[in-house]
Amino acid sequence: MILNKLIISVIGEDRPGILAAVSDLLYARGCNIEDVSQTILQSVFGALFIVSTTVEMKAEQLQAVLTEGVSKLNLDVFVRKHEFVTHETVLSQPFVITTFGPDKPGLVRGITGILARHTINVSNLKAVFKGGDDPGNNVMIFEVDVPIATSLPDLRRELKQAAQELGLEINIQHRKIFEMMNRI
Amino acid sequence: MLSEREILSTLAMLRDEHLDLRTVTIGISLLDCVSDDVNRFINRCQIKIARHAATLVETANRIGDKYGIKVVNKRIAVSPIAVAGAPFNSSQLVLVARALDHAAKSAGIDFIGGFSALVEKGMASGDRALIAAIPEALASTERVCASVNVATTRAGINMDAVLKMGSIVKETAELTASADGLGAAKLVVFANIPPDIPFMAGAYLGIGEADVVINVGVSGPGVIKKAIDRALAADAAIDLGRISEIIKQTAAKVTRAGELIGREVAESLGVSFGVVDLSLAPTPNAGDSVGEIFQSLGLRSIGVPGSTAALALLNDAVKKGGAFASSHVGGLSGAFIPVSEDLNIAAAAAQGILSLEKLEALTAVCSVGLDMVPLPGDTSAETLAAIIADEMAIGVINKKTTAARLIPVPGKKAGDKIHFGGLLGEGTIIPVNNGPNENRFVRHGGRIPAPVQSLNN
Repeated sequence: MILNKLIISVIGEDRPGILAAVSDLLYARGCNIEDVSQTILQSVFGALFIVSTTVEMKAEQLQAVLTEGVSKLNLDVFVRKHEFVTHETVLSQPFVITTFGPDKPGLVRGITGILARHTINVSNLKAVFKGGDDPGNNVMIFEVDVPIATSLPDLRRELKQAAQELGLEINIQHRKIFEMMNRI
Repeated sequence: MLSEREILSTLAMLRDEHLDLRTVTIGISLLDCVSDDVNRFINRCQIKIARHAATLVETANRIGDKYGIKVVNKRIAVSPIAVAGAPFNSSQLVLVARALDHAAKSAGIDFIGGFSALVEKGMASGDRALIAAIPEALASTERVCASVNVATTRAGINMDAVLKMGSIVKETAELTASADGLGAAKLVVFANIPPDIPFMAGAYLGIGEADVVINVGVSGPGVIKKAIDRALAADAAIDLGRISEIIKQTAAKVTRAGELIGREVAESLGVSFGVVDLSLAPTPNAGDSVGEIFQSLGLRSIGVPGSTAALALLNDAVKKGGAFASSHVGGLSGAFIPVSEDLNIAAAAAQGILSLEKLEALTAVCSVGLDMVPLPGDTSAETLAAIIADEMAIGVINKKTTAARLIPVPGKKAGDKIHFGGLLGEGTIIPVNNGPNENRFVRHGGRIPAPVQSLNN
């Protein structure tokens, strides 16, 4: 049997029972969850599933089933076929970029623009802007993979300059320091 | 994926709590440079030091940048010059000291340690010459640090050497009188000196060590203080067992940072990695103080009753955290209480809350000893020797390192202000009991025998 992989995204107001409802519907349609990641931002629930199913199951069909099944939960469901290929991995080093400073439009753009220019992939981004004076309340944390060929001094200089223009304090550190200090 | 808390707690230590790598110290053996010709010896030493230390500063800075941790000092420790330069007389050894000074300067390094002798049981001719050369060597160089080990738990206390060091400390201070006796701030008298201390002024490369080795000193009194403060804010009724646990866990984190960077610097330089020395080493900056930890623990100031118990708790918890975090912890590893280098301790001494006698008691449970203690200029060489003897006795009997770095400030008296500048700090001269008088006890000389290793009461 040839496996068919589908990608499902589910977004809506967070409440108990969303995952139970979605996984129950998937189980009933013979879908196996291979990967799932969920997060909550403020009161918004968001989840991304990769499921394997039979070749007969079409994305549109599953989307209709799920949309119907979770209608009471007021969720948006989107399903598409998983056709993405895994690109050859570029040798890279994991770095963590953190910024502290007051919120304003353009902060994420300012930093990610530089990262994109250096073909640096962001593997995880967490940004919290709660306002106020506590720097810990206005933080962006980018976990990134910096290709070995990247000039670290150049990257550092560009990021520092951008951060200064945006009114941010920025730190660029190899990920290992956080692992060493926090994990045994 | 890292957790937000892991990232933010590490960053808080670096941004707000003065966590840094206090020193990356390269130990370089000079034993293969020996010669009976002083110029040839000097030449070989300079070549070897330059070969290994030339890129130390740049390498340590690059790796510090990579991890976002500042490597504050880069230093050199060499084999004890009394051994490597044993054939030479005092004036020749002063030339060696100047050559070491020059070698350090060329490598962009602020201190080089190892103008040292190990004389706990007796003195060879090289040891005598080196000790006699110390005042001139320290007065005519900027970066050289000297140390003399006069006692060990296995050999006892060499009281001839102790008496001699009383005079040498005084003479060194007098030769640098215009700088408040600064020379004596670069001279440490030890009992049980470790062979791998990365911190100055006691660093030298022990005889049993590798040819070239990287040892790192991590500090972080501010990090420990903040961890205690946070725990107390969360629960004001927290008990001392729990506080000890918090210090231990925090010390472990700090040690791991030091080991990561030390190993990478060693690998990058192609030399072996020695030890992490996790010591709470203060600097004369607010928030980077060991004295402030005493206040967080509920004492009015370091020096009041309870201080020795608090320091015992602190020192032991730091050692436990360090020993857990790294398989190669060495050097001094504990809490330093250098009087002039810590704003808070200097203030306690100035106000008379911390006396020389209480300092001595504290050294029974701290990781070093009487450190950076400014004394009246009229303190006699015999009284200095007697203070040293007391300090050595504490180390020898308790099987620990102790040291004396005393500065009898020429022309100044108790209560006068002194200023060394930089990391060496400033302070107020504290009074010495029986200061200017003779001391017949230390004149007896000979050796105080090694203590019995059983009947431990």
